[in-house]
Amino acid sequence: MTSEQGPYLFLTLLGVAALLFALTPLALAWLWARVFSPAKPGLDKNSIYECGLESKGDAWVPFRSEYYLYAIIFLVLDVETLFLMPFAVSFSGLSTGAVLAMLVFLLLLVEGLVWAWGKGVLNWK
Amino acid sequence: METLEQIKARAEAAVPGAILGILLNSSPSAQHSLVVDNEHALAVAGFLRDDPQLRLDYLSNATGVDWLDREVKESNITRQVVDGVERDIEVTSVRVVPGYLEAVYHLYSMELRHGPVILRLRTGNRSDLVQIPSLTPLWRGAEFQEREIYDLYGIQFTGHPDLRRILMWDGFEDHPMRKDYVDPDDFEYEPTPHDEVLERAARHYPTTK
Amino acid sequence: MDEQLRHELGRQGIFVTTLEELYNWGRKNSLWPLGFGLACCAIEMIATSMARFDLARFGAEVFRPSPRQADLMIVAGTVTKKMAPQVVRLYNQMAEPKYVIAMGACAISGGPFKQGYNVLKGIDRYLPVDVHIPGCPPRPEALLDAFMALQQKIAQQSLTGEHRPRHLRADVPGEFPVPVFGAHDLQPPSNPQVWSAPQMRRGEGA
Repeated sequence: MTSEQGPYLFLTLLGVAALLFALTPLALAWLWARVFSPAKPGLDKNSIYECGLESKGDAWVPFRSEYYLYAIIFLVLDVETLFLMPFAVSFSGLSTGAVLAMLVFLLLLVEGLVWAWGKGVLNWK
Repeated sequence: METLEQIKARAEAAVPGAILGILLNSSPSAQHSLVVDNEHALAVAGFLRDDPQLRLDYLSNATGVDWLDREVKESNITRQVVDGVERDIEVTSVRVVPGYLEAVYHLYSMELRHGPVILRLRTGNRSDLVQIPSLTPLWRGAEFQEREIYDLYGIQFTGHPDLRRILMWDGFEDHPMRKDYVDPDDFEYEPTPHDEVLERAARHYPTTK
Repeated sequence: MDEQLRHELGRQGIFVTTLEELYNWGRKNSLWPLGFGLACCAIEMIATSMARFDLARFGAEVFRPSPRQADLMIVAGTVTKKMAPQVVRLYNQMAEPKYVIAMGACAISGGPFKQGYNVLKGIDRYLPVDVHIPGCPPRPEALLDAFMALQQKIAQQSLTGEHRPRHLRADVPGEFPVPVFGAHDLQPPSNPQVWSAPQMRRGEGA
């Protein structure tokens, strides 16, 4: 094992070991089911819901497309936090250009928030 | 609080045409009750709730009673002339009082802190004339209790917003708290059967005494 | 392998086991109950899982909110006729192997409500119950005792052969028919596969 290819060989070995670690129990379980424990699927057992009542309908329920608004709000507030944290930590050491760029970025985010606000998304119905 | 007689008199004055009766309770609790006719029940109950001296704003309990048909023996002593001699003759007659279902409401006043005033509503019979007016429009708390009475006794409350069974399932046909209810015969062995259970045990296991 | 040799090997730090024992050991020490309670017995069941009685000692502290992850159904409390179909359906949705503990007088026989119109006279009319616990309600110690009884039962199950448990046999169904609400009672009133009316022991001779 030379030092040139060493890291890659090691990584490959690690990858294979990780894969085996995950697949071996699955294979064992599959074998166990084949040899000893027969599968017993049934109408009740395979039904969608598990609250004890009779299941009705399908698990593939369409969600309203209006939920994308919540996704946008989440993005606005989450990304804001993500960038504001390092921004705040290194605030004093930044150049004027960097601060300006950051403020422009913030303005864009706030613009999204204002847009959502104006659209009435934040009202709880 | 006023006596029940006073309440009755004022209610009859306030609701023209209402026929009220007082049912005496001879037990030590002496909780006498007002029997109201179905036609004016809602108006009388409304009077009890809104009258400034009563203000019975709280319905603490509504329950049902099943009264079976019963025979009443009456004996009348009459003076008759028999064979020229005047004698006392006792004539006994058996009268069948038809059964009915009854809803009993216990009313209190939270504002004036008095009560209870007990209100009784009766159905015409036990089979087809089982409608009585619902008091849910006056006391919202009556809703579930009237549903329970409907479920267990089969009284139909007219004007109830949502009269469905509440304890038993929707497809259930009987009214289990009625006195003539026969429950499904799913008896199983018991070590010490007695009374009715003994009869069932004898039916299911004929060798036992 | 005889017991003596095994013991000797164990003293030397070598543990010998069979697949069967390993399988049973794993099952009996990770019995995850289904987290549901029907009446006052459930309070005792909750107390059992808390620090004082500590069900975690038996590997059963993980009350699962889904039947798909549960191994054990503790029927803790009164099973009303209105609730019985739901209980049976939940049992059907549990993955094999699955066990049932009927906890308390109501769950095993109807208890004080036995003569009532709305209470099922024991969940064993619809489900195969492994352990019955009498009591109204049973104390947590009784539930622990039932747990240990179930663990012993599991430890003695064989992996192959005629007497292997239900979940290892392909011919025995894993689901039991769910009763439906009838006009006067549940239909059917009991499942003849798992329950039949008990026979009277005292006969003419008594």
